[in-house]
Amino acid sequence: MTDTTRIRNFCIIAHIDHGKSTLADRLLEITHAVADRDMREQYLDKMDLERERGITIKAQAVRLAYETAGTSYELNLIDTPGHVDFTYEVSRSLAACEGAVLLVDAAQGVEAQTLANYHLARDAGLVIVPVLNKIDLPQADVHGTARDLAELVGCDPSEVLAVSGKTGEGVTELLETVIARVPAPEGSISDPLRALIFDSTFDAYRGVIAYVRVKDGALRTRAKLHAVAARMDWEAEETGVFAPEATPIPELGPGEVGYLVTGLKDVHQVNVGDTITNQGRDRAHEPLPGYREPKPMVWSGLFPAEGGDYGALRDALDKLKLNDAALVFEPETSMALGFGFRCGFLGLLHMDIVKERLEREFDLELIATAPNVEFHVIRGDETLVVHNPSEMPQPGTYDRVEEPVVLATIITPSDFLGAVLELCQSRRGEMVDMKYLSTTRVEVHYQLPLAEIIFDFFDQLKSRTRGYASLDYESSGYQASALVRVDVLLHGEPVDAFSSVVHREKAYPYGRAMVERLKELIPRQLFDVAIQASIGSRIVARETVKAKRKDVLAKCYGGDITRKRKLLEQQKRGKARMRRVGRVDVPQEAFIAALRVDQRSGERS
Amino acid sequence: MRAGIYVHVPFCLTRCGYCDFNAYAGLGHLQPRYVRALLAEASLAATDWGGVLVGSVFLGGGTPTTLDAADLASILAHLRDRFDVTRDAEVTVEANPDTVDAPKLAALLDAGFGRLSMGAQSFDPAVLASLERVHGAHSVRTAMVAAREVGYANVSIDLIYGAQGETVASWKRTLRESIALGPEHISAYALTVEPSTPLGRQIALGARPAPDPDRQAEMFELACVLLAEAGYHHYEVSNWARPGFECRHNLGYWERRPYLGLGAGAHSHRDDRRWWNVRPPEEYLRQVEAGRLPVGGEERLEPSDAHLEEVFLRLRILEGVPASWVEPRTAEPFLQGGLLRERDGALVPTERGMLLLNELVLALAG
Repeated sequence: MTDTTRIRNFCIIAHIDHGKSTLADRLLEITHAVADRDMREQYLDKMDLERERGITIKAQAVRLAYETAGTSYELNLIDTPGHVDFTYEVSRSLAACEGAVLLVDAAQGVEAQTLANYHLARDAGLVIVPVLNKIDLPQADVHGTARDLAELVGCDPSEVLAVSGKTGEGVTELLETVIARVPAPEGSISDPLRALIFDSTFDAYRGVIAYVRVKDGALRTRAKLHAVAARMDWEAEETGVFAPEATPIPELGPGEVGYLVTGLKDVHQVNVGDTITNQGRDRAHEPLPGYREPKPMVWSGLFPAEGGDYGALRDALDKLKLNDAALVFEPETSMALGFGFRCGFLGLLHMDIVKERLEREFDLELIATAPNVEFHVIRGDETLVVHNPSEMPQPGTYDRVEEPVVLATIITPSDFLGAVLELCQSRRGEMVDMKYLSTTRVEVHYQLPLAEIIFDFFDQLKSRTRGYASLDYESSGYQASALVRVDVLLHGEPVDAFSSVVHREKAYPYGRAMVERLKELIPRQLFDVAIQASIGSRIVARETVKAKRKDVLAKCYGGDITRKRKLLEQQKRGKARMRRVGRVDVPQEAFIAALRVDQRSGERS
Repeated sequence: MRAGIYVHVPFCLTRCGYCDFNAYAGLGHLQPRYVRALLAEASLAATDWGGVLVGSVFLGGGTPTTLDAADLASILAHLRDRFDVTRDAEVTVEANPDTVDAPKLAALLDAGFGRLSMGAQSFDPAVLASLERVHGAHSVRTAMVAAREVGYANVSIDLIYGAQGETVASWKRTLRESIALGPEHISAYALTVEPSTPLGRQIALGARPAPDPDRQAEMFELACVLLAEAGYHHYEVSNWARPGFECRHNLGYWERRPYLGLGAGAHSHRDDRRWWNVRPPEEYLRQVEAGRLPVGGEERLEPSDAHLEEVFLRLRILEGVPASWVEPRTAEPFLQGGLLRERDGALVPTERGMLLLNELVLALAG
């Protein structure tokens, strides 16, 4: 057990691509945590997806040994996810630290996630160490960015460190500064055990492994433990630290960070944010503050492209859920898409990741419905929670509908301010405030419905600002809105997968865009197919796919009957792959294309 | 059951942009070798066809009339020598209007080619240009007159409709001109875009519009009306004839009778076996000159394959599918919708049904 005075727990917080993982690699090198021959880029990002996308999905905690002025220190670097979807996970990782390195790309400057993470860290009471990264880049504006960053955190520009994660310049000074400025953890070995779970992972052989930060007392191997929120008792099968590979040690003392092998088979018994204490007399009376159940924000129906894969999809979701406590799903039956699951995600990135993992790791081909938020339908004293637009009750049968709203922070070059404001206004946004960070950069806060954010807002923001604007947002409750359900009917049959809940004012353009798009996607049939959009019983848009008149092989002579037969067989296979909605055959591709969010916003450009 | 023999001549003066047949321009120097190879292949193949009566011979291409009349005559004579070709066999030669004149036609008739199939395609110069045909509309008339002069009593004209630039009005003129020439038989094909052709590539690149299927449907319906008025009997999706002048050879394909294909890429069928020769002419020559049958591939038909073919081909020739082959509830919507009608216990496509024949085939073949 290390004396708390020689422990420093810190994290690195940064906007995406500001070089957090590369800086972490240098810290591993300088402290000789990884042998040179084992070093690889983005060492702490273990999942293929993390490496490819350059993002951190799971948190990591690594113990580094560093000696300075004759004293050896135990530095615990907690690598946090940096994306808005994982704000709660970030907040728990921050709660495991006393300090945060606020890392900013000297060429890019302060971005929306920089601000959001800074505020989270400050609210968590962490000491902030402002650092500029990528100072080796020719386009780095060290002076200007240092000034902006100093202004943000309220320090003198001279206190802003300058490093290059790539070359290693300034990284030693950074470590020295962390030791000097980040306070040692408090906590007493004599108090009852209180340890914070800030992440967990699932190992097929050892069960759930919790990442923990001990606040008080000691966490010992073989100790009888109790998880407060989960109300579960279990035994610590093993305790240890990541150095950076898992290394068992008999106990973790106050201020220490490490892992705990629980032997539990269900990740949902080990919740991020929960407090672990001992059983019986040694039990702590007060859990650590800040626990929250993971709350899905975005919902989408996932259906196997091949109907027979339903069982495989269920097994795959069960497996993913083992180390993704935030993923929820329930069976859903769609008239159009068959059997599948309505899944809840923390956000769009989380949804993409889950979908990609299902397809990649489990070899499934999926059709996903357009994502939607959770609606609250209020009728008298009752609140009906709706996760699926096709389950939204008909207008007139309820008092009001509420939808989730977020407080969005957007930082943009002032040249694009007009375009950004226009976008936010067109998305039912209400401006909260606006402030110039410098003469050329503006920070804008908007209250926006989450439904608008998940409807290609980020792509639009990027395209209207040539990629320069950055976005972050946090949940800010529910508000009543004039929302209606728009249905799409094919030949008079509603297609549940195409139902959507949109603002009344956008219902018409939305319906029009959908029917126009479907007109292009639905092949001609033997009869005229009406494509209609409706609100309740009122048709708001209509297109017709005219009956096909000709489908015949013109020539059949010269004796090559084989080829003609093969053409027919091919056509037959194509037909077999179609989904039948009432009498209408709809190809798989039409569903996929019509449900893609980016294809559906034609009316807004 | 009488068999047919098809002889493929892969030479053309130029290559048309829409054509995906096994045909080549600029290989004229191979002609003498090719004729010798055809004779040799016929001799090799004949051993398996002893005792089979041959009721039709068809020389197609390509452009068979790029060969001299003497060569064509020698091929036919050789076939008569090696196979049991009946005296009344239907013997057809395809002709490009620019490659025949009265003396050549007289020689062909004299050699025993009693049926002439002329590739007219259109009488609209703009459409001919769009199809990259080298002949003009007038050469079809000239060739037709010459054919009648030398005594041809069984002439067919091939037409293609729906090419870029062709209007329904222009197609109507083409049909009227064709009828005015008084052929015994008319084939009218909707232009089909094959991806592997220059036309297919241009359309894929967006350089040219794809044929409009609705306009082609309209053109088909117009052909049905005008040709019926003129006394032509619609006996296959794309074929019309004066009574008694249906092409017996082509009917052999559609009735799934045996046939032997000779020449590069030619297809053969007998019992449950379909096979085909190698396509490139040089490869064909090498194989035959080495004393081998130049077979490039084959397939054995499973009962399900044979059933699909049977349904497909019976529907095409308006013989129809026996009603007992099909579940009544399967046929019902098509009968109701006017795509099928019942005739003597058979389900027969209507004209609208012919335009949607693939749908009928897939539904009725189960």
